[in-house]
Amino acid sequence: MKRLAVPAAVIAGALALAGCGGSGDTKAEVSVSSSYMPQPVSADLAAGFLTIVNKGSTQDELTSVSSDAAGSVTMHDTVGGAMEQVSSFAVPAHGQLVFKSGGNHLMFEKLKRKPKQGDMVTVKLEFAKSGAVTVEMPVKSATYTPSTGH
Amino acid sequence: MRKKTFAAAALLAAATLTLSACGNGGDDKSPIAVVSEESGSAKAATLLDQPFEKPDLVLTDTHGVKYDLRKETAGRPTLVYFGYTHCPDICPLTMNNIAVAKKALPKAEQDALRIVFVTTDPDRDTPTELGKWLKGIDPQFIGLTGDFSTIQAGARTLGISIEPTTKDKNGKLVSVHGTQVVAFSPKSDEGYLLYGEDATVDDFAKDLPKIIKGANP
Repeated sequence: MKRLAVPAAVIAGALALAGCGGSGDTKAEVSVSSSYMPQPVSADLAAGFLTIVNKGSTQDELTSVSSDAAGSVTMHDTVGGAMEQVSSFAVPAHGQLVFKSGGNHLMFEKLKRKPKQGDMVTVKLEFAKSGAVTVEMPVKSATYTPSTGH
Repeated sequence: MRKKTFAAAALLAAATLTLSACGNGGDDKSPIAVVSEESGSAKAATLLDQPFEKPDLVLTDTHGVKYDLRKETAGRPTLVYFGYTHCPDICPLTMNNIAVAKKALPKAEQDALRIVFVTTDPDRDTPTELGKWLKGIDPQFIGLTGDFSTIQAGARTLGISIEPTTKDKNGKLVSVHGTQVVAFSPKSDEGYLLYGEDATVDDFAKDLPKIIKGANP
């Protein structure tokens, strides 16, 4: 049975290639990069940004975010200057989910203390398929942008 | 033959569609940024052919005192932004970008400049709340609050569309911020420059000395 599965996987891989260019891996495989929190104005409210890459061939879903540093963490997208709370975000197979300034963002509320540049905030991401992923999110300057790096 | 060609074209079209559908999966809708990347020396500011008149806004400042925007900022280089303090991302970023750029100016110029933050969420942004928030960014910034319909009408004269705060399905309050900073010339008191959300500290640092003179960046 196992031997049969290999060519099947190859065919599936080839099919995936024709579609999107896949590796034949049938699992979701998420990793998190480029995370940061701009130093907030106060402990009431902070934003967080990161990129989630899914190298697997199955879609995953970010279902919740939490942090010991904050009373609550919620996920939002932005539509025409207004943000909307979203209960989950898809992380497409062979794709990514990007949280960035002006777009999707994490919102931290009721922080225990005001995060300062140089601090680290521990953030726990829950995925439907990949389970929990913990990220150490660095606090950057209030005007930090990934494109300029300052 | 014709049929075959058609079939091939359809296949190609299908393949193209598949390709574009895959993309990078990221929700990366920034055509404007791409354009400015290509031109290299793109300016952050949009110079308006038809400048805006300064809105006739009489509101309340962070000390709870009546503030007449036209009177108080007459002959002053002035930046106006419409936002709210329960905004995690763009509002503090925009105000911090301006604050950091402002600190690079000589003190006399910093004092001449008027940076005005008009709340789009006056119910939550009382003079006290607004004052506390702005003090965390730059104590010289002016915060204005008041009647929402007055604020909305003022924003509209600058081409900025804002909506009242509403409750979403979870009962959370959702407010709307403007997407532009308008710079007013000290010479004409007209709004002659627009800055979008992607304007950086460097953009403002480069342009503020010009705005202070009422010159074009």
